[in-house]
Amino acid sequence: MSEQQSLAGIALTIVGTPRWSLEPDPRTPPGDPATLLIIDTDGVITAFSGKVEYGQGIRNGFAMEIADELDVAVDSVRIILGDTDLVPQDRGTTGSASTRTVGIQLRRAAATARLTLIDLAATRLEVGAGSLKTLDGRVVSEESPAGVEYADLLSGQTLTVDIPDVVEVKAVEEFQLMGRPARRIDAISRVTGAATYAQDVVVPGMLYGKILRPPSYGAKLAQVDSARAERVSGVVSVVQDGDFVGVVAEREDAAEYAVEAIRARWEESRDTASDWNIPALLKERAENPTSLREDGDLDLAFVSAERVFENTYYVPYVSNAQMEPSASVARWDGDHLTVWCANRGPFAERDSLAEMFGLDTSQVRVIAAEIGGSFGTKTPTVSHEAARLARAVDAPVRVSYDRAEEFGWSTVRPAATFEVKSGVDAGGKIVAWDYTAFHAGENAFRGQRGADTPYDVDNVRIAVAASESPLQSGSYRSLGGATNHFAREVHMDEIAIGLGLDPLEFRLSNLSHARLRACLVAAAKTFGWASREKRPGVGYGLAIGYDAGSFTAQCVEVLVENGEARVIRVMVGFDCGLVVNPDGARNQIEGSIVMGMGTALWEAVEFDGGRVLNAGFARYRVPRITDTPEIEVVFTGDDDMPSSGAGEPGIVPIAAAIANAVRDATGTAIEELPIVPRL
Amino acid sequence: MHLKVNDESHEVTVDAERTLLSVLRHELGLTGTKYGCGEGNCGACTVLIDGEATRSCITPVTSAGGREITTIEGLANGDKLHPVQEAFVEHTAFQCAYCTSGFIMSSAALLDRTPSPSDEQIQSALSGHICRCGAYVRILKAVKSAAEQDGVE
Repeated sequence: MSEQQSLAGIALTIVGTPRWSLEPDPRTPPGDPATLLIIDTDGVITAFSGKVEYGQGIRNGFAMEIADELDVAVDSVRIILGDTDLVPQDRGTTGSASTRTVGIQLRRAAATARLTLIDLAATRLEVGAGSLKTLDGRVVSEESPAGVEYADLLSGQTLTVDIPDVVEVKAVEEFQLMGRPARRIDAISRVTGAATYAQDVVVPGMLYGKILRPPSYGAKLAQVDSARAERVSGVVSVVQDGDFVGVVAEREDAAEYAVEAIRARWEESRDTASDWNIPALLKERAENPTSLREDGDLDLAFVSAERVFENTYYVPYVSNAQMEPSASVARWDGDHLTVWCANRGPFAERDSLAEMFGLDTSQVRVIAAEIGGSFGTKTPTVSHEAARLARAVDAPVRVSYDRAEEFGWSTVRPAATFEVKSGVDAGGKIVAWDYTAFHAGENAFRGQRGADTPYDVDNVRIAVAASESPLQSGSYRSLGGATNHFAREVHMDEIAIGLGLDPLEFRLSNLSHARLRACLVAAAKTFGWASREKRPGVGYGLAIGYDAGSFTAQCVEVLVENGEARVIRVMVGFDCGLVVNPDGARNQIEGSIVMGMGTALWEAVEFDGGRVLNAGFARYRVPRITDTPEIEVVFTGDDDMPSSGAGEPGIVPIAAAIANAVRDATGTAIEELPIVPRL
Repeated sequence: MHLKVNDESHEVTVDAERTLLSVLRHELGLTGTKYGCGEGNCGACTVLIDGEATRSCITPVTSAGGREITTIEGLANGDKLHPVQEAFVEHTAFQCAYCTSGFIMSSAALLDRTPSPSDEQIQSALSGHICRCGAYVRILKAVKSAAEQDGVE
């Protein structure tokens, strides 16, 4: 906290407990009380959060919320993110939860500050607090419209105030900033090249590290000869510690050149998994499935069902492929370690570094740089590597991955195989739903998101199994949410088409969830679903989705010709409760759709025997500007509902909606992704 | 060798094998130009050389000697943003913005040559760039509005 206290002239400090969940939850006790917000004697407001900025505009969202609660201009609010020495403990920026959890607590902190300012003004003006209100950085009243500036009220004060148990935040109709389109406060630095990403961090005396990579996952180092590398001009040291071999040099190009000059012999693992046999292996290698829900009597329901549908679906590994490859700078000051990095969870990264080097967490400081995209990846590995090299050479070291390392050694979205069996009655009502998912990776929890069905059905079994993964699986935008939705929503069309029903009508007749229905109806109406015209090569599809507390539906038009599929337009119904920043939310939803379109049409990590075969953008096709569809978003949520996630839910239905549209165009069911190689 | 970057002259002593990107970022500290792939496939490293949008990650530094190099840091005129920068802010045509420098440099080069481009011309000029956050809808709008602004001026 030393740097925080050394900031000149702190007049008011608001202390509260960081929250992880919207409502107090006994299973997740709140963090220790920490400084959430300070106002200095000049009236400048600074708020602290353990969240990080990787493009979702979280800094902007927080600043707007605080500015609104305190009735100040948004540019008088500073937000400090992701510096473990300065900000409250946090569990990582995941699950589209920042606005729901930290956002509301920062609003409560700001509301507490506002009440404190009003109390100060009441004393100064010798009037009752009830006659005072805040406006444009001042406390004013009917009698005194010019009022008193915050800075004036805080002059000479050093107050610390705890957030009370009950503090009233503003109602929707009182917002001046929230809910309106706004420029991002970090916009200028992002269009002038001034924003500093982890790849750009330079500290005095810094050297450059490069790691020797094995040829394949699981390979063990048998023999190494680094004599040639050591002779490369600019090389400071070749560091070896077991299988870990790295070069430290004065320049990055020297480090790259030297690592190429190392001669190494590897014993490769004999895992025979390849992209072509993985769909079946996922089931064979599965651990015991975890049952998420068992309702009614499935066996009986299938016996009595008029029609039964049974299909297997597959979604391959995909690469996050964020534009900024992983990078980290590590500096040791005695037995204190400081790391600048691009991790989504600075505290988790701090803890993992402390564990690795046998340090107390107080000896490690992690500072989040601007993050050039994440979508879930950016593991602490790169920081471990930088810290190991920095310790070996006793100087700060930056490790920056190149694109091939990022494709080959970063985490990937788990592949998954799904078995879905459904039964419907003569009236087209779903009476039985048996769903089992096999998600690659040891963490079964990752595959649970979005596995349950939101449709009305009495006899249900939902099971999710983790399965051994030949690649290093990790997080991804919405993770299991996107893949589970693909299986379910494609299967919904399988039933609708099997019964000769319109996919929209079939869904609506099995869906009583009001918020999802509203999304679906809005998307279909904007799209003109009822009046869609059958034309050669053109197909229409839709899907619904839920994720991170939000709901969405998407209607898609595709054009299939010459072995390519092109998404022409996407109409979206979206309910994330109160929309704090509509433009920011739209930006996230558009991005989710473009990203999900890549996973639907082209993307798959190709691998064989632990080697990634398409580790570059020339061989891994991602969406480009020429692929961009027309996208329109209709917000259907209620402003009185708390804000829920907008960064991820947009991706969950899109792959299924596209697959359903391609099926509509070609008449062939899509059961595996990506689509285009199979056209 | 002699490099002219953003109207400033620099004497640098570097290996002839190094890329322009590496020299800009590491020797001159111009980190606004980004490394994205090192293969010329993503556009994050785009700079202008004599007004032409060029992938600095596959350009040998020696081939840029004596020519006019412009990076994202040199695009604005003092505090006045270039119309393309202004339009990217106005349309929030980015999320993480790691790719933004490259998109802006290529867009600026396009508008310099073709002040009123069609949608197809914009898409074609930017098809070598990747925005993984998927801000393409906005990028397209931003470049169009920058073209219109330019026309008015």
